[in-house]
Amino acid sequence: MDDFIVATLRYGTPLVYVTMAGVLASRAGIWHLGLEGLMITGACAAVLGVVQTGSLGFALGLAILFCVLGSILLWFVIEKLRANPIIAGLGLTGLGLGGTDLAVQAIYGSQASVNAPFGLPRLGPAFGPYGVLSVLVVLMPVVVFGLWVFLRRTRLGLQLAASGEHPFAARSVGVNPSRLRLLALCLGGVLVALGGAELALGSLRIFAYGMTAGRGFMRFSAVIFGAAHPVGSAAAALFFSIVGALGIRAQLVFGDWIPPDLLLTLPYLATVAGVWISGRLRGGAKAAPAFGELRDY
Amino acid sequence: MRRLLPIGRALAFVLLALVLCGIVFEFAGYSAPLMFESIAEGAFLNPNAWQHSLRWALPLFITATGVAISFRCGYFNVGAQGQFYIGAIAATFVADGLRGEPAALVVPLAFAAGIAGGGVWALWPGLLRVRSGTDEVITTLMGNFIAGLVLVYVSSGPLKDPSGTGQVMASRPVAAAYRLSTSAGLSPAIIVIALVVGVSMWLLINRTAFGVLCSLAGRNPIMVVWQGAKLSRLGLAGFVISGALAGLSGTIEVLGPNGRLVSGFLPTHGFTAILIALVASLSIAGAAVVSLFFGGLAAAGLYLPVLVGLPAAAIDIINAAIALFITARAWPGLAHLWRRRGGAAETP
Repeated sequence: MDDFIVATLRYGTPLVYVTMAGVLASRAGIWHLGLEGLMITGACAAVLGVVQTGSLGFALGLAILFCVLGSILLWFVIEKLRANPIIAGLGLTGLGLGGTDLAVQAIYGSQASVNAPFGLPRLGPAFGPYGVLSVLVVLMPVVVFGLWVFLRRTRLGLQLAASGEHPFAARSVGVNPSRLRLLALCLGGVLVALGGAELALGSLRIFAYGMTAGRGFMRFSAVIFGAAHPVGSAAAALFFSIVGALGIRAQLVFGDWIPPDLLLTLPYLATVAGVWISGRLRGGAKAAPAFGELRDY
Repeated sequence: MRRLLPIGRALAFVLLALVLCGIVFEFAGYSAPLMFESIAEGAFLNPNAWQHSLRWALPLFITATGVAISFRCGYFNVGAQGQFYIGAIAATFVADGLRGEPAALVVPLAFAAGIAGGGVWALWPGLLRVRSGTDEVITTLMGNFIAGLVLVYVSSGPLKDPSGTGQVMASRPVAAAYRLSTSAGLSPAIIVIALVVGVSMWLLINRTAFGVLCSLAGRNPIMVVWQGAKLSRLGLAGFVISGALAGLSGTIEVLGPNGRLVSGFLPTHGFTAILIALVASLSIAGAAVVSLFFGGLAAAGLYLPVLVGLPAAAIDIINAAIALFITARAWPGLAHLWRRRGGAAETP
């Protein structure tokens, strides 16, 4: 059981961080498909930072810097150039995947993965089987709760949510929705950088091409399932990680009957089921807020 | 002038994307002018370049046509990659299972299987979309990941080449009698298929009631419903046509240039096809021209690492940067140049 919880948290913590970034974007009214690319950028920057400088703080700073820069680029393209958020987001994802590939090849030649000499500090043997978890796992509930406080109890957070829900109303009371979207994307950039760092430096301590494996898209399902509420979405993300951990467990148990490659599709199937069920429960139009106005070209 | 403006705008944003790419290349430690020169050489300038570019352009054009149709209907089917894979898998099952039968029987069956496979892989997100309002962007993206894993399973399981080395997971080579082309990839058969698809889809979009309704449904779905058309049926048809065309190019790749099913082959085909459709602003004739450009880039993606020693990821970056900018409709300070009449573009 302990092993199972550890496996779930290992799989799920990066997903929760990227889900929180998605909650922020969703609340601010942006359909953020670039998170997959930002997450792989964060993972790559964290590992390369550790390998090149040997300083963990510098590596995390580098990851956050790149993710925030990417967020600002996406904001500029969506808000200022009025591009379609779906296609621009997919472009940012492609830029992240291609850019990390190029960076690794530029520095290490044609190498498929980069090993980090050390990673994020772990809890240590005092915690028994949970000692292998990194500090970012412990920080996760704090971040989720902090985000809830920010969105529900602070002036800025309420303005941010308002500018996503009804930009016109927000503007009529002197709030600039565009600027708050920039804020949401940048905060999300910080969170997704932490998620990428946890993914690469948390337990594996390796960067491999395409290692995010669609987490940046899976989190959509979590955000929709949790109605863009930080706690609900985090719970949904953890539920998907339980499915993922079950998939890994099932490979060991059912590996003889069901091909392991097909068991790996479980998280993706769960994501589809999650979006489908929440659409059924709440109505499709509500599940994808303001989607009609996004596709007006 | 009014017709030229979108083309000029697209070119301007492609140029902007290339500038961004140059910055990324310089940042990664490559010389940007050298990189662009090598890409241009690999795509269009070296003696055999046009042949290679056309080899990549034709399947991309077929997939892009499908993407354009589903986008025109107002549905973001971004699952062309998965539909392409499932079509290729279905075609390989037929070509591999019926080994030894006459080509006149197997090749049409393989095509039917590929088209049906791609269509079915687009049908389920379409059904979820029109029945339950499930967002099709997410379901089709997930479909890409699932299809990729199915491809890994199929090429290492049921269709595995028993004489394979284990390094590359691939199916048995398709028998020479069923092949549409050599591995060079250009043959009259493929050109004819692309022409037939292009012309018939152009007619479908521009000269039939279905095409007109599709384009209206994408712009103003409420009006189409009030006119009495079945929006869900139009949308489903758009999904299935786009999936079927992606499956068709999967079949062409397996029976033509590739000659067998390889795990994870052409991983950016679907994304490039989406780009082609968008750069061509969803016009079929435009897609034919634009796919030549992107086919050239794809050819350069093979040319770069082999002949110049530069990473092929450069091509992915160029494609991604173009995607980032291509749907942009304004430039700060210049918005008045292409504001729609009546200021419609200003309402949020």
